[in-house]
Amino acid sequence: MKLQHALGGLEGLGPIQGPETKVFVQPWEKTIFAIHVAMMGLSKHLDLKDVPTAFDDEWTWADLRKGAEAMNPFDYFRYRYYEKWLGGISGFFVQQGYITAEELEEKTRQYLADPASIKTEGGDPKIDEQVLHYLETGDSPLRDAAITPAFAVGDKVVVRDIPPTDHTRLPGHLRGKTGVIDVVYDGVYQYFCSTGPDGLGEPMPIYSVKFEPSELWEELHEDGNTAFFADLFEVYLEAA
Amino acid sequence: MSDRFAYDPDREAKNEARAKALEALLIEKGVITAKTVDTVNSFFQNEMGPFNGAKVVAKAWTDPQFKARLLADANAAIEELDFPPFMSGAEGEHMKVAENTDTVHNLIICTLCSCYPWPTLGLPPYWYKDPTFRARAAREPRAVLKEFGVDLDDSVEVKVWDSSAQIRWWVLPKRPDGTEGMGEEELAALVTPEAMMGVAVVEANPPRTGYDPAAQGF
Repeated sequence: MKLQHALGGLEGLGPIQGPETKVFVQPWEKTIFAIHVAMMGLSKHLDLKDVPTAFDDEWTWADLRKGAEAMNPFDYFRYRYYEKWLGGISGFFVQQGYITAEELEEKTRQYLADPASIKTEGGDPKIDEQVLHYLETGDSPLRDAAITPAFAVGDKVVVRDIPPTDHTRLPGHLRGKTGVIDVVYDGVYQYFCSTGPDGLGEPMPIYSVKFEPSELWEELHEDGNTAFFADLFEVYLEAA
Repeated sequence: MSDRFAYDPDREAKNEARAKALEALLIEKGVITAKTVDTVNSFFQNEMGPFNGAKVVAKAWTDPQFKARLLADANAAIEELDFPPFMSGAEGEHMKVAENTDTVHNLIICTLCSCYPWPTLGLPPYWYKDPTFRARAAREPRAVLKEFGVDLDDSVEVKVWDSSAQIRWWVLPKRPDGTEGMGEEELAALVTPEAMMGVAVVEANPPRTGYDPAAQGF
């Protein structure tokens, strides 16, 4: 089990601190956020035509999520949201050979000693045009394939309990639980990458599945008229 | 306490230096440009933010036919409106809207991390990504809503929508009493991101109206 994915229903947490309504709590978080967006917009699975970037890899949410899932879970909860991005993304650029760990350390030391000594300039405007084009048009996972959904509204389903791989979109608190199909979304949807034995990769139907709180949380469920709906890929479900 | 839970006293200064160093190196290597970071951030500050969703909400409050189309097919309905052509862009390719009524209150969460409809709501605030919120909202939504100041009658059904496949959910809040004479622009100024996530109700006389990028950390 991955603790990162089994958060739903965790006991003993106390009140939500804040709540902090800011999107960014430190100015540098805007920098790493923008770098991630640029990588998604320059990912080689998109139709990039003549965009003169040195970026030559696929980069999607799946890659960022894989990094978070590969972390020691105690580190995962120790670091703030964008701190995990900073670690994962800088690690990726080192691992893929775009930069070396030494270069990054040296430049970091230089910035700490004198921020004004880091001067940045240049770059082809076509790169930023492509990044904006990605933001404006997105990267729809909807695919044109004639696949009939295995389940219909009202069907009872059980969520499979597939052993963890390097990446999954199956929340831990739903594993083994029984629910009812509430919505069959139109069309079929592809995930960014294959998750191997976990089952994502090819286009497939997705559903909103309704769960009773007593089914999910047993005697710890909250009293009252409440329903929990989870969007799930078909491969995670089987007939009850 | 073990070292695992000790933080570097220069944590933020080092984070900042590392982020700036990475940016500088990526510009040197031709991956991004010197303008990429500003281009992306000003897009989210000025173009793709919660002010878009607020306009959609105001339209739905004043046009019942539009509201019906919005609930049936959010992307198609929003495309009818006078927006720049990115309302089905990144993280909003496939959106669904859940309507709050006198008998149903909706709450959107992402227990896996931070799925969020960017074109209409912008970027998610920190509390939405907070593991405490993600864990508790799933099991005890009424208690969490109460902490946010939303005290629901027992008769109101709470529906929690956990986005973890490819659909991005958001909430059409209830139009507050006392706004009958208001136009769309005035109404939109009342709608907060929190209301479109279901952790707040819209007030007719909120303490502050309108969008303030500084309040979001831009």
